[in-house]
Amino acid sequence: MRRRLNTILLLAATLLFPACDGQKKMVHYSDIYQEQPLSIYIAPLNDMAMRRAVREMDDSLYNASITVAAKQMYLSAADPLVSHGYYVPGPLSSAQIAATESRSGKQLRNENINDYHDDLGFDAILFIDILEWRQTSCTWSVVAEYVLRSTKTNSEIMHVWVDATKHLPTDYKGNPRALKDDLDFAEKYGCDFATAQRCRLVEMVNKFVLKDLPAGQRARQQKSERFLKSNPEYYYLRIERDGSVVLLDNNETIETSESTKS
Amino acid sequence: MKRICCLLLLAMLATGCSWRYVGQPKEELLSFQTYPTYGKLYELAYAYGESLNAAIEADTLHPGMYADYGVVLALMGHQGEACRMLNAEAKAFPQSRKMVDRLKQRLMPEMLADTFAPVHRDTVNMVQLQSWGYDSVTAMRTLPYMPPVIDSSDTARIRMQTPVDSVVIPIRLTANQKREMLAQEQKKAELEKQAVADSIALAKLERDKARKQAKMERDKAKKESMKAKKKANKEKKKAATKKSKQRKAKKPAQKQQAQPQAAPADTTSTAKP
Repeated sequence: MRRRLNTILLLAATLLFPACDGQKKMVHYSDIYQEQPLSIYIAPLNDMAMRRAVREMDDSLYNASITVAAKQMYLSAADPLVSHGYYVPGPLSSAQIAATESRSGKQLRNENINDYHDDLGFDAILFIDILEWRQTSCTWSVVAEYVLRSTKTNSEIMHVWVDATKHLPTDYKGNPRALKDDLDFAEKYGCDFATAQRCRLVEMVNKFVLKDLPAGQRARQQKSERFLKSNPEYYYLRIERDGSVVLLDNNETIETSESTKS
Repeated sequence: MKRICCLLLLAMLATGCSWRYVGQPKEELLSFQTYPTYGKLYELAYAYGESLNAAIEADTLHPGMYADYGVVLALMGHQGEACRMLNAEAKAFPQSRKMVDRLKQRLMPEMLADTFAPVHRDTVNMVQLQSWGYDSVTAMRTLPYMPPVIDSSDTARIRMQTPVDSVVIPIRLTANQKREMLAQEQKKAELEKQAVADSIALAKLERDKARKQAKMERDKAKKESMKAKKKANKEKKKAATKKSKQRKAKKPAQKQQAQPQAAPADTTSTAKP
């Protein structure tokens, strides 16, 4: 009787487990688990977002706002990796290293980067690209690309595209209301509301994407988290009005509306 | 089972109480990245010093903090301290040894052989703060523009145009401290206003006093002159009465003198020759 019960339970388990959607981390990030990088260098951010031609005051404000948001994205990329146990040099040290680099960002992406392992001791380089900014009256969106390249094998060990949209709560008239966290950010950093929204958005995107990476080889949770579900390669992020982040499938449609000035 | 759960909870609480993560100073970093001026660099240096001291106190260390502080100090001209900080980074995180050597080669090549690192629990020396001669944020923004660190090709060789001894960075204050400072400034402004009003009132008092004094002296002089006039008049009168008296006394004497001369008659003959 006991044996029968056990077999029934085992069969049920084998039927249930594959029903879980999404790849496990040890499958999706198999290259990272194989390489086991200890230190990651964050290359200077590649800001490919289009700037507006300056005809009015708002245009220059927009350009300045997305420039500051790009800087914040670069500065906030290290924390999630550090919390996973990787060694990540600070932004000023990275800037000094970048100043010694004669190759362009594109060349670094495609050419041999063994010198970063031999001369500087980094196991991987993280490249972040900002592709597009969009906004409406109640939403703020960014499209970004993350690439992690191994300095030992020159191969890509991670490549993720993310399209993140942050929704603002609205009042009964449909006008957007500012979240307290965004206002606090604007006050703390001394920037305007639009810049604060963009900076908070990129912080959340960094956190969501980079925290999904496997923990460093010296972290305790590295073995146990292999069986957790990972994010897909290309996904949409929706940051709800209450601050929670929802990952959307490729098949789910996203509301598109004309972008307006901030 | 219950005992295990209670023990686990206690252990979690115990570890939670002692752990405090102190990361990089994000506001100052973004501020410096947006407006890379000397003032912002000094702010950043001070913030790094504060953060490192807090991290040492909390016994948590963010990778790259020592190195970044060393880079900032090197840009400000404190090469010795910068070398010490970079060595501390290499000691705390051995995987950063090569990066630290590269940074030292770029920022302070003469100190490549110096590998002295402070003990991790030693407090970090803050940037020396001396008076700069300004109090407002607006004055800070008029400092000369420094090229952005990421884009410039030779940013490691930037040296301060003003002497290092004469510079200071404003302290990063908490909200309460800012409120207290504001209240103190308001009090100071009120005291200054009061002092100005007091000085005006004092000046007025002195002016009134001087006027009174002058009036008193004028009155006194007037009185004295009146007195002198009266006295002079009196004396004049006296002299006049004396003269008249003398005249009066003289007149009868003259009369008497004149009368005996008229009395003797002519007794001689009246014969004609």
